[in-house]
Amino acid sequence: MTADGSSWLSGRKSGISARLVHGFLSLIVAVVLGGFIASALVRYSPGFDVDENSWNPALSEHTREALHARREYENRLPLFYVRYLGKALHGDFGESDSFHVPVADLLRASAAVTLRLMVAGVAGGLLLGGCLAWLAVWPRRASLEIASASLSGLLLALPPAVLALFFFLSNAPVEIAVILAILPRVFGTMRALWSDLYGSGALLAARARGMSASTLAWRYVLLPAAPQLIALIGVTLVMAFGVLIPIEAICGVPGIGELTWRAASSRDLPLLCGLALIITLVVAFVASIGEFVGADNSPEIV
Amino acid sequence: MTISFNKDRMRKARSIRLAAILVLAAFTVGALLGPLLAPYSYDHQFRDAPSASPGRRFLLGTDEIGRDRFSRLLYATRISIVLAPAAAVISVALALLLAPLAAGFGPRRRFARPAMSVFTTICLALPWIFLFIILRAELPLNTGPVVSILATFGLMGIAGWAWPARIFSASIDRIESSGWMLHARAAGIPPRRIARVYAWPHLRAVAIAQFRILVPAYILAEATLGLLGLGVPEPLPSWGNLLSELRHPDLIRHNPWVLTPLVLLVIVMICLEILQTENAPAKEEQ
Repeated sequence: MTADGSSWLSGRKSGISARLVHGFLSLIVAVVLGGFIASALVRYSPGFDVDENSWNPALSEHTREALHARREYENRLPLFYVRYLGKALHGDFGESDSFHVPVADLLRASAAVTLRLMVAGVAGGLLLGGCLAWLAVWPRRASLEIASASLSGLLLALPPAVLALFFFLSNAPVEIAVILAILPRVFGTMRALWSDLYGSGALLAARARGMSASTLAWRYVLLPAAPQLIALIGVTLVMAFGVLIPIEAICGVPGIGELTWRAASSRDLPLLCGLALIITLVVAFVASIGEFVGADNSPEIV
Repeated sequence: MTISFNKDRMRKARSIRLAAILVLAAFTVGALLGPLLAPYSYDHQFRDAPSASPGRRFLLGTDEIGRDRFSRLLYATRISIVLAPAAAVISVALALLLAPLAAGFGPRRRFARPAMSVFTTICLALPWIFLFIILRAELPLNTGPVVSILATFGLMGIAGWAWPARIFSASIDRIESSGWMLHARAAGIPPRRIARVYAWPHLRAVAIAQFRILVPAYILAEATLGLLGLGVPEPLPSWGNLLSELRHPDLIRHNPWVLTPLVLLVIVMICLEILQTENAPAKEEQ
């Protein structure tokens, strides 16, 4: 029995470590390739070769030559990218062409803003979405179920950018728009999760024994649902980032989304390379954590 | 008692679904007949009446360069309603083509599976907004309206293949490890017949569910891109670029009719959501 148990355990451990190694390697490949594809998209976009400084009479001949040489170097994409990656490993992402400041400083400043919005949006969205889903499941009242589903449906029907625009124009915090954009996108999953758990035999038996609603919710719903909720947080973080790019660009919030928008508009290759590396790293990392945690737990919900 | 309650519920759900289908059908017919119903061309400028208020001549007023809002709305509805499903078809078709690779079929199974997994991760992680910026820059200024809208929606369809491909590869995995597949193999049924007769009906249900999920997603995506100025290019109208008028709060106060595209968008989205939720068995297949 012990031998069987330990071999099963060691097999499971080696399975987990193989998945970890596989996930890590996939992450590295995704980041390197993702950065390269994004750089190639920018490099071969029309107008990239044009440097407005070439016509700037305020610049000396020497400066213009230096700028020209740098542009030529950036034009050889594979070489540029390999050197860029080498420097990026040491934290040097180069200098932005359009802002004339180190890319690392720009990333640091805008990442803080985006992170704050993402955390607020995901936390608020999950909390409100979870409560709304609970209202649709637990009291077993058709009116509450219809009301919560209708509210979620209405929010889902509104483009997040329009929602953000309304809040922005009425001087309300944009965070509320992010929360309201996330809420309907988690409502369906959380309703299905609560519905499964609240309908379980163990919970019904505990309820019949007279256990309080809060104990039931904690012991029979939240604790068993923890792995799925962690996976959901991962998926929601990725989703929140997708929602934030247009919101930041439209409302002028100085985060990663707005920075991406401005960098892409001005074909700022060093900045876009840095952004692509960071964005791909964060998105792929969060998604793989979600997959890893959710893989063993009720995949039909994840 | 429970049975009659469930029956009553199902009857209500069926009537809601029918209402949603009727509304969508009305929108589609209206959209297809848009050019016939529109009193003016979408790009005709009435220089004598810029920013006109709604009235008998212009039902929803005119925009700041004197184009009739009602005519533009009819054309925009046609573009958004017809082309979002077309983009969804492209995504689902691409995903169906590539999913067998992601699920590890084919001669180089050991290599293909992780490669496709990484590729889908990249496609899901990259900010595709670059692509749309580049596309807008690539299109010459004299590009015809048909080419520009096909390029926008075509790109949207191509960019959106990764998520359905993941769902399809997970479904293929499930089909491959199912008991009936084992039975079919053991019975010596040729792989092509297994794929066509047994596996395809399962995948088709997932494909239809994915299509239903992608259509509203693309309508919303076009609206967002239009707000950013990256969607269907002017002077061609779409719900997205009509919504960009919402950036001017004074205009909304002066003429609330500028909210009409948003109202239509919300109605269509709610109808599509109803059809999605009523299709629970196909969704569970995911």
